[in-house]
Amino acid sequence: MKFQIEKDVFQDALNQVQHVVSTRTTLPILSNVLIEADELGLQLSTTDLDVTITKRISAKVSKTGKTTLPARRLASIVRELPTSEIDFEVNEDNAATVKSGPSFFKILGLPSEEFPVIGEFGEAKEFTIDQKLLKDALRKTSYAISTDETRYVLNGVNCLIGEGMLTLVATDGRRLAMVEQDLEFPAGNETAVIIPTKAVNELQRLLGDSGELKIALTSSQASFELNESHLITKLIEGNYPNFRQVIPGAANHRVTIEREVFLNAVKRVSLLANEKTNSIKFAFDDNRLAISANSPDIGEAEESIDVRYDGPRIVVAFNPEFVMAPLRNLDQDEVFIDLIDESSPGVIKIDEPFLYVIMPMRVAN
Amino acid sequence: MQSSPDPESHESSEKQDLGALWWSVSDDLRAELGASTVELFLPNFRLTGLDDSVAVIQVPGSGYALWAETNFKESILSTLQKHIPACKSFRFDVTDEEAVLPVEKAKSEKKKNKAAKLKERVLTERISDEKLVERGRAAGLVDLFTFENFVPGQNSDLAWAASQAVANEPGKTYQPLFFHSACGLGKTHLLHGIGWASLKKRPKSRVLFVTAEQFSNDYIDAIQNNALVAFRKKYREADLLLIDDVQFFGRKEGLQQEFFHTFNRLSDLGRQIVLASDCPAGEIRALEDRLVSRFQWGLSAEIHRPELETRAAILRRKRDDWSMLVSDELINAIVERVQGNVRILEGALIRVAMVTTMTDEQVEPARLDDILSDLVGSGASSGFVGLEEIKQTVAEHFDIEVNVINGKKRTKRVAEARHIAMFLIREMTDLSLMDVAASFGKDHGTVIHAVKKIKAECSSSSSMKGTVELIRRRLVRGGSSLESKRARRSSSPKSGSQNLDSNSYRKKFSD
Repeated sequence: MKFQIEKDVFQDALNQVQHVVSTRTTLPILSNVLIEADELGLQLSTTDLDVTITKRISAKVSKTGKTTLPARRLASIVRELPTSEIDFEVNEDNAATVKSGPSFFKILGLPSEEFPVIGEFGEAKEFTIDQKLLKDALRKTSYAISTDETRYVLNGVNCLIGEGMLTLVATDGRRLAMVEQDLEFPAGNETAVIIPTKAVNELQRLLGDSGELKIALTSSQASFELNESHLITKLIEGNYPNFRQVIPGAANHRVTIEREVFLNAVKRVSLLANEKTNSIKFAFDDNRLAISANSPDIGEAEESIDVRYDGPRIVVAFNPEFVMAPLRNLDQDEVFIDLIDESSPGVIKIDEPFLYVIMPMRVAN
Repeated sequence: MQSSPDPESHESSEKQDLGALWWSVSDDLRAELGASTVELFLPNFRLTGLDDSVAVIQVPGSGYALWAETNFKESILSTLQKHIPACKSFRFDVTDEEAVLPVEKAKSEKKKNKAAKLKERVLTERISDEKLVERGRAAGLVDLFTFENFVPGQNSDLAWAASQAVANEPGKTYQPLFFHSACGLGKTHLLHGIGWASLKKRPKSRVLFVTAEQFSNDYIDAIQNNALVAFRKKYREADLLLIDDVQFFGRKEGLQQEFFHTFNRLSDLGRQIVLASDCPAGEIRALEDRLVSRFQWGLSAEIHRPELETRAAILRRKRDDWSMLVSDELINAIVERVQGNVRILEGALIRVAMVTTMTDEQVEPARLDDILSDLVGSGASSGFVGLEEIKQTVAEHFDIEVNVINGKKRTKRVAEARHIAMFLIREMTDLSLMDVAASFGKDHGTVIHAVKKIKAECSSSSSMKGTVELIRRRLVRGGSSLESKRARRSSSPKSGSQNLDSNSYRKKFSD
């Protein structure tokens, strides 16, 4: 196998695929990237057996063939190479020589036959949607995914397609983020799947701001095809909890807040959040919001900002991280907070079909 | 449930134990987490079992289970342990509505039906009449107030029909049945009547009649003596719960919460609740919305003032019951003159009968005006003054609207009117400071201040004294048809001095 490739193209492609590769693995082949050269160019693939990413790039191939090379090492070498043209040659023993200007590297790889073959995709339900739409939706929900591995069904984004809508939900039992987007799809294709965290993260890296992507879903696998990239992931099998049960009904009081002002104030006050309870207090009162934190051994912080609110005084405590997460991932200038009372969950909303339910912390006084 | 050879009874009594236990656990949880939180995250949850040391809590959805476990695990566990010391942990048993297979549903339905039939058989077991009366008295029923003694009329046809339906099939028709009317028109009579009729039909059923005040006292006693379990057992296991004067639940938050649970429990079990109040549910002051909506849920029946014929029928019935020597013509003459509630009618009848016995001759209809002078007259002829009436009269005097008096405006004129109204209400009724204050949306201190101020001004300024006296006279003469039960209760010499208490009369008479 022999080819010549531009450094930037190669580096970008390696960067996109190398995250899947796990650093600690019992199977050495899983740390490698599969490189396949044909007349049209190169195809790079990495997998951890759950998520597989394949990326096509153009290269001047003078001799076709395939091999696997350690993905991270290759990526760091390519990144440091001095010139923009790289000459690549791999012999029968899977030893690769990389030449770039005065630099010369020899990297030992593993035979391509060892690289796990991705299972064939069965009969799938297919959809085509805008990349931006999915990217936005994932960004607005993925931070609420649970990291608690004992509740594996929560370790992903629940993706429902039905009733003319694409609904994405993530929750960890303390907060819940949900996006609903209108989506046209063929009748009979209603489905619900849970996309695991890793695939969600990789997908966000791959998705761009324009163009479309093709999604195919079976009951155990999902495939996403876009921009010469292809991501295939196993799905989390199990029943996602009925999240609609915990979304509060009509709220009594609505607060309108400037998102950035709010985010920055919470960020500052949270520096002194009580370490034990990890909560800070939000006191809503007649067009004012006073955010305060109090750590008995360290000190206290308070910041007051203008909001639009005309209800009664409500003091409620939240985990500041849980408040900041959605604020960081929204673009709107204004957000709304719907409150029922001090012990009921608050709901952050925007002008678009998004909502974020957050459980108040129970604190004395 | 009474003794029965069926093995199911053991199982169900165990279930009942768990159920009773769960009620106390759930009440503690409500106290700990707040009722709204429990309603949001643990709606209709039940304690369904105890495997070794693991309590099984049934929730109607996976979402509830997830959030409840994540957020309230410690609270739930510690509350469980308080009541079940052996409990080491708990788990949720999710019953998604969709998850219940139709076959299982049918099965459990069948089981339920069987149990219900068995229960019905036990409840309808015959007992002797003496026993029946004994049971009725123990349930708080008064012998006199039976359906047989009730004189139905156009004024009460809905309430009357509903009463009979409920007595025939408790828990099946109107849940709850809610009577409201002005005082003395027969609410209490119907409540007792339902109790008696239902007891006759199902002698072994648990009937319980209480006034809201008794319920309240029981509750307070239970709290003081740490005997809430017994209290709940008493009320939550009734087959027919009759509560009179529920307007007294107003402003008693703890009591309302307790009653709310009692109500839910009984209606879950398909037991019958009948309530009576002197105003529609929506008008009971400071009654929680969830209770108002529950009161309005079943059937609300209003009892109106009896029309002429009904009044005559009532008095004829009374005359026969008490074997009085009063002719039909005389009764017709009485009911033409006296238009108030049934108590006043009875009072009038007693008075006429007494005059007859004393003078040993039939009273001429023409003399009635003299004898009944205080009962005959304008409007409702109640002769007593109510809070709203005072406010109305004061407002009229100052030429302002009643809602201005109740409002927040504090201009001199309005404040003076408000103060005089407060003063007169305190003088002329026996409403408590709190009641008066609440009716104005004010603090009781405000009322104390107003009363002091007017008193002082009356002694220092003759014009103020004149104003107050003028309004008072207008009130005593009776300018408005409004009537209040509480005001009537105050048979204080100030308000209705020349009024004769019909009860004391009746006693004298029957002696």
